[in-house]
Parts: sequence; C-alpha cells; structure tokens
Amino acid sequence: MWKSIHQGLAGVEPAVKQFLPPCQMQCPINEDIQRTNILISLLPDDLELARDGIIQIGDYLFEKNPLFTVCGYVCGLCELECNYQAKGGAIRRRLLKRFISDTYTVYLNQKEEFNLIKQKENVAVVGGGPGGLMCAFDLSKRGYRVTLFEASDRLGGALWLIPRYRLPEKVLTSAIDNLVRIAGIDVKYNANVGEGKLTLEKLRNEGYKAVFIAKGTPAPRTLTFGREKVEDQSLSGIMYGTTFLYEVSHGEIRPNYFVGKKVLVIGGGNVAFDVARSARRLGGETTIICLECEDKKSKDHIPADWEEIRGAWEEGIHILYSRGVSKILGESGRIQKIECPRCTSVFDETGFNPQFDLSDTIPVEGDIVIITVGQGADRAALQAEDLLDEKGALVVDPVTLQSLKKEWIFLGGDLRRIGFMADAQKDGLIAAESIERYLRGLSLKEISPRLYEAQDIPRRSHYLTEPEVLWIPPEKRMHFQIFERGFTLPEAIDEAKRCLSCGPCISCKACLSIGIQESLPTVEVNKDRCCGCGICVSVCNYDAAQLKDVEIRRISFTDTFKCKSCGMCVVACPSEARKLVGDNMENRINAVYASL
Amino acid sequence: MAEYNPKLVCFSCKFGWDYLSEEPGRASRIANWIPVVCSGKIDTSHILKAFRSGADGVLILGCSEGHCHYQDGNIQTKKKVLLLRKVLETFGIEPQRVEMKFSLDPEGKGIPALITKMGKNLIKLGPIKRL
Repeated sequence: MWKSIHQGLAGVEPAVKQFLPPCQMQCPINEDIQRTNILISLLPDDLELARDGIIQIGDYLFEKNPLFTVCGYVCGLCELECNYQAKGGAIRRRLLKRFISDTYTVYLNQKEEFNLIKQKENVAVVGGGPGGLMCAFDLSKRGYRVTLFEASDRLGGALWLIPRYRLPEKVLTSAIDNLVRIAGIDVKYNANVGEGKLTLEKLRNEGYKAVFIAKGTPAPRTLTFGREKVEDQSLSGIMYGTTFLYEVSHGEIRPNYFVGKKVLVIGGGNVAFDVARSARRLGGETTIICLECEDKKSKDHIPADWEEIRGAWEEGIHILYSRGVSKILGESGRIQKIECPRCTSVFDETGFNPQFDLSDTIPVEGDIVIITVGQGADRAALQAEDLLDEKGALVVDPVTLQSLKKEWIFLGGDLRRIGFMADAQKDGLIAAESIERYLRGLSLKEISPRLYEAQDIPRRSHYLTEPEVLWIPPEKRMHFQIFERGFTLPEAIDEAKRCLSCGPCISCKACLSIGIQESLPTVEVNKDRCCGCGICVSVCNYDAAQLKDVEIRRISFTDTFKCKSCGMCVVACPSEARKLVGDNMENRINAVYASL
Repeated sequence: MAEYNPKLVCFSCKFGWDYLSEEPGRASRIANWIPVVCSGKIDTSHILKAFRSGADGVLILGCSEGHCHYQDGNIQTKKKVLLLRKVLETFGIEPQRVEMKFSLDPEGKGIPALITKMGKNLIKLGPIKRL
C-alpha cells in the first residue's frame, strides 16, 4: 500500500550555498520537484488505490504552494532547466502536476481548514493576485491576522487573463476559494486601496502594522512609434489585449463575435498569443504583427514560447514578423487599416530601441486591432502614496521588498517587475518573511539571496525519450475547453520514473517518506586503505566520488552533497576502503546467512 | 535419501520490487529474502559468502533497464554477475546457481513464484559440489 510518513519531510535548508536539482532551482518558489516526482513514480497503477497517495502528494505540495493546482496548467518553468532536455526531452513536470491537480481540485473543497492560532499583528495585503494570495497564505500560517484588499469583485488578479483553453475556470476558482478558506484569510472586495478615502494611511490608522502591495499592472501600454504615441488609438474597433482577455473571461464577449472580421493583434509576447488564439476561437481571421523576428537564435527573437507559436500556427493564425505599426488609418471613426514598416532591429546596447526601414512599408487591412504591447502599474496611485522617486520608478529594496520610503510598506509582484505567476508568488513569500522580520524587530539586512548550484545530469547508459504531448487537432479545438490532454495514471507513473533525480538526497528524502530507506547512510573513506586507483570515480554516476591530492598521496573522497548513498563505489572499491555508515544491509545479510 | 530442500538467497531491489506490498512484514516471513535499496549494491563477495554459508543458489531481482533509481545499478549487477558466473564455473559451481531477473513488480506478487521456479532448478542440480 502506498504510504508516506511525515518524518522524512524534505526541506530546502537555509544555507549560503547549496546544491539543488536544476528544476527546483529554476522554480521561483523552489518547489520540491524531484521529491514529488519520485513519490508519483511509486504510486500504484490503479486509480482507486492511488487516490490516497495522490492526495497526500497534493497536501504536501499545497503546504508550500497553495496554487499548485493552477501551476499544473500554466507554468512549467522548471522544464526549461531540466537536465534531461539534452538527452531526450525535459521531464513533463507541468503535466505531472496537472495530473495531481485533477484529483486534488475535486478534493480541495473537502480539505479541512488549517488549525491556526492567529495572535500576531494585523497585516493588510493589497491585491488578490498570485503575489498577494501567496503572501496572505504564508503570513496566516505564521499566525498573523491577514486582511486581503481586492479592487474587483473576485480574487485571482491576472490569472483571470489566462484563456480558459489553457486553464479551466473550475480549477482556478477552486484553488482561490479554498486557499482563502483553508488559511482563514479575511477578504474585502471592491476595495481599491489608493483610491478615494481608502489610503494607506487609513489602513495604518485602522491598526494594520504592515502592508504588502501587489496590485499588478492594470494599465495597458499604448502603441508607440519612434518616441511618439501612434495617433488615433481611440478609433472604434481598437482595443487593448488585457481588456479583451478580461472581457472574454467574464463572458462579456459572445461566441462567434469576430466571425467575418479581420483581427490584427499587435505584439509578440505570450499575452499577444493568448489574445490572438482567443480571437481566433471567437471566429476572427487573425493576424499577429510583431517587431521581432522568427529566428529564436537572433537577439531580436520573438519573446512568445515556442509552444504558443506552434499552437497559433496550427490554428491558422497568420504571423507577420519584423513589422511595426507607424500609422492607424480609419474612416468615419472606425479602424480601416494600419501601416506596417519593416523593423530592422529591435534591441541595441541601450535596450529596447526599434529601428525601421520606412521604404518597406505595407498596409494591413483590419476590422479590429488589439494592442498587446505590454502593461504597466497604476503609477498615479503609487505617486499619490509617495512610493515612487522623481523619475517615477518604484523605490524598493530588491532583496527584502521593503519600500525605501515607508518602512511598513512592502511591494512586489508584477507591480515591481512583470513576470510569471510563480515570480509573483515568490515575491509574496519574500514579503511575508520580511514582514515577519520587520514586525518581530529582526534585522532585514540578514536576508540575503541564496546561492544555489545546479547539480549536473547523472550519467547512465540508457536515457528514455519524452512522451508525446497530445493536443486536440486544431479543427476540433476552436472553443474554450482545454485542448491539451493530461496524463493518465500509468502515463504519469512512467513519466515520473523517467526523472533522473539529479538533486541531492537532503533536498528530497522521498525514499524515507515512503519507507524504502530507513535513514540516509553516508559513505566513509578509510584514508589509510585508499590507494587512489579511482575505480570509485569511474563507477559513481553523480560525480560524488572524486580524487584529491593529500601531501604526496592521491586519495578519494566523497562529496556528501552529491552522494546518493547507492553504495556502488563501496562495492567497486578493490581495497575495501569505502563503507556505508548508517546502513543496515550488512546486518541483514549476516543474519540471513547465519540462519542458512 | 531424505528429500533435498535447496536453500535460496533472494536479493531484491526496493525501487522495483515489493514497494507497494500490502504486508510490510513479508520480508521477514519469506525465508532468506534480503530487500536492498539497489541491486548495484550487492557485492560479489556477498554472493560468494552466501555459498560459503551454505546457500545453494542466489536470485537477484533488479529493476528493468532504464529504470534504475541510481541510474545504472542494474547494469553494474549484470556485468558483475556475468563475470562471477565464469569464475564460479572454474571452481565447479554451476553458473545457473546465480540468477538475475530485471523487471518491475511493485506489489511483489511474482517473488514467491520466481523463488519456487529457481528452487526447482536447484533441485535438478542437486546439492552444491564442494571442492
């Protein structure tokens, strides 16, 4: 029976420098990826029998990342650094997590509230997106009374801009509603802090001792050409990408709204592709126009992910690379066409500074133009609260997220730097730690960014190829249902088994929780016996056994961070210089042999 | 002549065999069964010592190719055992007395059958011929 006992909980232990598997290092919130992969790989292959195990794995993930059910649909940052990439394809961690999510989302509604004693100060969290939710969750667990101020009538922030065909609505609502319920977070809706009478000073007077602001980037960036704003952006038929996605997710745009219309999407980021693919699903004949070029190796490459580009291409979306927009032309108040000069260079040493060849300008006709060239924070409100410098930039300590103008204010999420969902969550966690230190009177100076070193790919004779990810064929996916097929239980087990478990045992301990190991033995080298032959080095798949020169001799030693205590070097050593300390195999063998 | 009952020592990899067993205590109830964390951890000296202690055969259960948790433990075992068999032969011990099976059996249901099957082969070979 699959069981996991809590004594072997893994932890990323605070150390100035330590090894981690590259996936865990890449994950902004350092999720225990290897550990949960191994736990999945050891599940029974019958869904009924595996259910308990899946929920235990989910509970474990939830403790650290209450939004993991959402991550399983939209993130996958860890896959970008997976060591397996070079040897047959990254482990499909996102789909593994989605697999857990599919069972766990149903269970979440019955999950009991945390039994938290909240006797610490009142803290306000402004903004109900992933950054704010994460901060509120973490502070609640630490015993603070947290109130979340949300400007709109629902939590989730920018997560609502993710199209439904990538993230089903029920997964998102279940994750958010249950997070707030389980952690006992008090939420005030339609409370836009910084607007009207609801100022930060008012929060302070009401007894909130610290405030975390993660209001995101609600203001769409307007289209510019050269240094100038492109005229006529208020013509009928022109809209901004985030507004469009917001309306689609609110069901304010009826199906087939764009049938028979030419939709032009300006921008080359993932959001632009979300917009284009949503517009296509509403029936529009859609074209993406972006400054960047197609070649992913170029300095001016398109920023959107390859999977988005492939998806859009399959769905019949035309992509016009290396084109800017110099003019918007309309007739009787409606957009008619735009003029697109060729973009010769996007970035130079000063950063974003596009150059154009005006002699090569083409007109592109369209009925709808959706501008998706980025978005920014609500600067006016931040300015009014005196959180910006003269140049209009946020004045915040990048390590502690504490405002440098008001010590009781902490800032993070997209507001500080636009990033992925997990980046905002990371800011939430950092802010929670900083707020605790600030309120407990501890120095914030002690928080320093941790240095992790990624472990290399272990050597092995057989590397397995990645499974095929199945998408519903394009002609059948012109709707807002999820189009990617998730893993079945046997597929999830197979994929999890493929994980090479690159990381050190100390950050994983899956074998302890499941009872395969009783403790983590360590390899000890008897220096007097070691002859420095190096056989252990050749047999170790993790580069843990190494040779070093000590005075006039060469002897072997074991890097405890990299060692997996598999015992292969012990077996291979011809001079019996190596042994496993804390391992009871020899005792068991001796007992059996004595009874023969 | 009394019925010959061969003694068989069985090593099994915990990552491939029996990790989902309903009976956690089974390891102690099946005679001479030694679950190990990786088959690559089994030394040739362990196998030789088994024979020296009176075993008639050794069965090693490792995980299937490409699935070793420690990357190549099963391959190391295979290499070791193939060589060891040659050595055993020169000492008059039949190579069939050391068997390997590389597969996945989470519930460990197949283990008793494998032990019985190898036991039958050992009966055919008879007691070990000591030099």
